[in-house]
Amino acid sequence: MPPWSDFEPFIVSGLALGGVYALSGVGLVVLYRATGVLYLAFGAVGAIGALIAWSLINKAHVPGWAAWLVCIAAAAAITLGYGLIFGPALAKRDPLVKAVATIGLTLVLYGLMDLLWTTSGGEARSLTLPSDNGGFSIGQIQVNWTQVIALAAGVVITLGTGLFLRYTKLGTAMRAMANDREITATLGVPVRKVEAAAWLGCGVLAGIAGLLLADLVALDATTLTFLVISSLAAVLIARLRSITITFAAAIVVGLLHDLLTPITSLTNYRDMTPFVLAAAGLLVMSRTTVMTQSREEA
Amino acid sequence: MREALTRTPPRRPASRPRPDRPQLIKAATITVLLLFTLFGLPQLLSLYYIDTMTQVAVYSMVTLALGVLVGRVGLVSLGQVAVLAIGAWVAARLLFATTQPYPVILLEAGLITMVAGIVTGLPALRLRGLYLALITLMLAGAITVVLATVNFPNGGHGFLGYNGSLVHIPPIRRPSVAGTDPAYFRYAVIVAILMFALTTAHLKTKPGRAWAAIRQSEPAALAAGINTTLYKLWALALASFITGVAGGVLAGAVHYLYSIGFPTQDSITLLAVTLMGGAYSMWGAVVAALLYQFLPALLNNWGVSADWLIILFGLGVLQVLTTAPAGLADQVPRDLKRLARRLRRQRTTT
Repeated sequence: MPPWSDFEPFIVSGLALGGVYALSGVGLVVLYRATGVLYLAFGAVGAIGALIAWSLINKAHVPGWAAWLVCIAAAAAITLGYGLIFGPALAKRDPLVKAVATIGLTLVLYGLMDLLWTTSGGEARSLTLPSDNGGFSIGQIQVNWTQVIALAAGVVITLGTGLFLRYTKLGTAMRAMANDREITATLGVPVRKVEAAAWLGCGVLAGIAGLLLADLVALDATTLTFLVISSLAAVLIARLRSITITFAAAIVVGLLHDLLTPITSLTNYRDMTPFVLAAAGLLVMSRTTVMTQSREEA
Repeated sequence: MREALTRTPPRRPASRPRPDRPQLIKAATITVLLLFTLFGLPQLLSLYYIDTMTQVAVYSMVTLALGVLVGRVGLVSLGQVAVLAIGAWVAARLLFATTQPYPVILLEAGLITMVAGIVTGLPALRLRGLYLALITLMLAGAITVVLATVNFPNGGHGFLGYNGSLVHIPPIRRPSVAGTDPAYFRYAVIVAILMFALTTAHLKTKPGRAWAAIRQSEPAALAAGINTTLYKLWALALASFITGVAGGVLAGAVHYLYSIGFPTQDSITLLAVTLMGGAYSMWGAVVAALLYQFLPALLNNWGVSADWLIILFGLGVLQVLTTAPAGLADQVPRDLKRLARRLRRQRTTT
């Protein structure tokens, strides 16, 4: 077991990663509750946004802030576009079919990214935010502002979404749709508009997550596309329901993943953290299953 | 007489159904196709395409297994490449460690993969639908991470059979009757035929009927007295066995195995092509394997980027899910039939 001081820097990076996972997880849960779609293209959308931002900064010499906004806007536009086209078409289908359809979008985006931002040339890309440069230290640990922003974004988005769902009209409509789409429609809620809002919100979060992860982890299409699996683990532990549990699980996933790094015997296996946690969580929590005929998974 | 027969089909004894003409034609077509694949195709193709077609044979077994899970029982697996990797790993380890004949090794690889599939699947089968699909993705991700650390056997000693400092890595051996590439291609096709026959035998008998009931509605199947857990586990066991055997064939085909060759994202692509090919039919598995292995090789030969194919697969999934749930193997013949009917009608009117 390495000394405690070896673990200290990884607490910071783990919390930062956990914050981004939490923000992604909250986006996924809200979209799932409102529309019944588990958006597996979340990572790919963020990745393409980040790559567009990289191109704008490095090829077109656009100022950074404009490129970041374009990144978020692109992710939001793709997500909203998909939601408007395929949301109604698949509305009556099983949640599984809806989720697999988003795999279709993932593959399209993934192919597109590999085509336009090819990796074979050995060109290493990176996206650095200005907040990387500043920072402070707690004891021996260096903390930069990006890490603070990542964790803060996770906390703020979770809190904000919770308040939004509780106190606004749109949020109440989303919660109603999570319970029953048909009855909500009968009550006069504009179902399509509420769904569109959920898609847009999820897309914006995907853009922010893409930007932060491109800085914290790597700007690479494959990595970013499949990093969504880590947030999925948190979402699964929360059983696609509670955003509070999603947040807690995301922080645990991020923290545990990074804390395993200094332990030499386990460091190679640290990428298993989200998978093992999700599998264990799901299996423990599904000891009693209720079989229903409705589309809602028990 | 014939008209009368077709209008009111007499009830044949269920024990010995007599094959009627369309069935005979179908059987003849399949036989001719198989004979051509076994004896004609290796003569016509270059070595590059023979290797590709061997891969097609291997992956047709994988997509067949996935088709059984997705199409017949309604269990979506997002981790089939990890199962294939387990089969290949076990086969490679046994091929280095023992001098057993190849078919025995294939059987062992299939059985061990089957046990692995059952052990991981038993707890996962408590989950249904979306959750089951996601947990297979998680398990596959975990297996991929383990494989990347453990590595594939390369002739080293010990349980894992990997020696990182080995300079001369021996190739994984092939069966003595199938040393050359064309011979190995035939060997792979025969193994694939056996696996297709095994699946057909399952679908025509009690498990097939139970699976069909479960796919329609699990509560209804349960109410009808079907042991749903047993039959779901059975489907998982069959799929794992077939995929394990496919892994064994793959090990001999490529000679050297690397963990980079089995990324988690390939499981997703595999599900995409299986859905595109058609998860409900046997032809669908062949179409899916051609899409997955033959098309990339063709495009590579033409100098077209394989990324276009990924985009195509993505669009294919969206198209299949929104308009043609039975996949290409169903859609293309149906559309052709419709076209033929329309042409015929035009001819009669003019």
